[in-house]
Amino acid sequence: MIDIQVFPLLLGLSAAMFTIGSVGVLVRRNPLVVLMSIELMLNAVNLAFVDYGRFLNSEDGQVFALVVIVVAAAEAVVGLALVSQVYRAGRELDIDDLSEMRE
Amino acid sequence: MTTATLLAYVVAGVALVSAAGVVLSARTIYSALCLVGNMVSLAVLFLLLNAQFVAAVQVIIYAGAVMVLFVFIIALLDPGHDPDYEGPRRDPRLWVGIVAVGYITAQVFALAVNGTTYSKTDHVLQGQRLAQAAQPSDLHSFAFDPASVNAAGNVQVLGRELFTTFLLPFEITSLLLFVAAIGAVYLTRRLPHAPGPPVERTAPVAALPEESAPDAGRETVAVG
Repeated sequence: MIDIQVFPLLLGLSAAMFTIGSVGVLVRRNPLVVLMSIELMLNAVNLAFVDYGRFLNSEDGQVFALVVIVVAAAEAVVGLALVSQVYRAGRELDIDDLSEMRE
Repeated sequence: MTTATLLAYVVAGVALVSAAGVVLSARTIYSALCLVGNMVSLAVLFLLLNAQFVAAVQVIIYAGAVMVLFVFIIALLDPGHDPDYEGPRRDPRLWVGIVAVGYITAQVFALAVNGTTYSKTDHVLQGQRLAQAAQPSDLHSFAFDPASVNAAGNVQVLGRELFTTFLLPFEITSLLLFVAAIGAVYLTRRLPHAPGPPVERTAPVAALPEESAPDAGRETVAVG
């Protein structure tokens, strides 16, 4: 059983991970790293959900975390399909150049 | 400080460092490795937070399936065309955005920590009230404190919640997965007249056997 002062610490960790993920989305130009940063942000939200669920004696946070995991998997599948297709179409893999979907 | 608390501190530190590694790594494969480390340490934290099933799903789905997909795509692409080799973006507006995101996130979490939903007395009182009304066989008055959940079984409690209270979101989730699978199959179909990856290949591309009958009819249509 973990002490009660760990719960706000994990919330702080969640906030830090969310910020780091958003920095990655903003700064990096490789679309794969951007997708991984989005996964990082979703993970941070998962941690906050489970932390609150444990603290408030509720199982809803875990249910929500499971739904978020499914959404993250779907997002990764579609994003990686787009990345591989862009690469196969012979375009440069740069987020700035890809802001227009058409050539 | 119990052993579990110490473990929580250590694993939280590992999670923070590996999260920074995702963004700071120069190579994509190192970012993926750091992300795997982050997900595994988060799974340990989920275990410490009495979320055993979520921890297992985190390891199997995230660190297993999703990251294997990422590593597969990284291995498929040519690392010489990584745009981050020229360095990250250096637009001054980005730093304004980063500071704004960090500030707003810190504010939201500070509000959440100090808010009414997070006061210790409320938590204890609510837990006691729920425990008094607890009938383990009755779903609607079931107390979700760790002792009761563990007595009934974490997976059992979670599954019961998922298939009764959250049945509609659960079904919508399955629909989302279905649509994502269809979208991925549609997106990764072979493009007609694609110029190919920007790589000088040594092997002739025409030797690929996939460029056969089904695409041959479509190519004439897609020219215009």
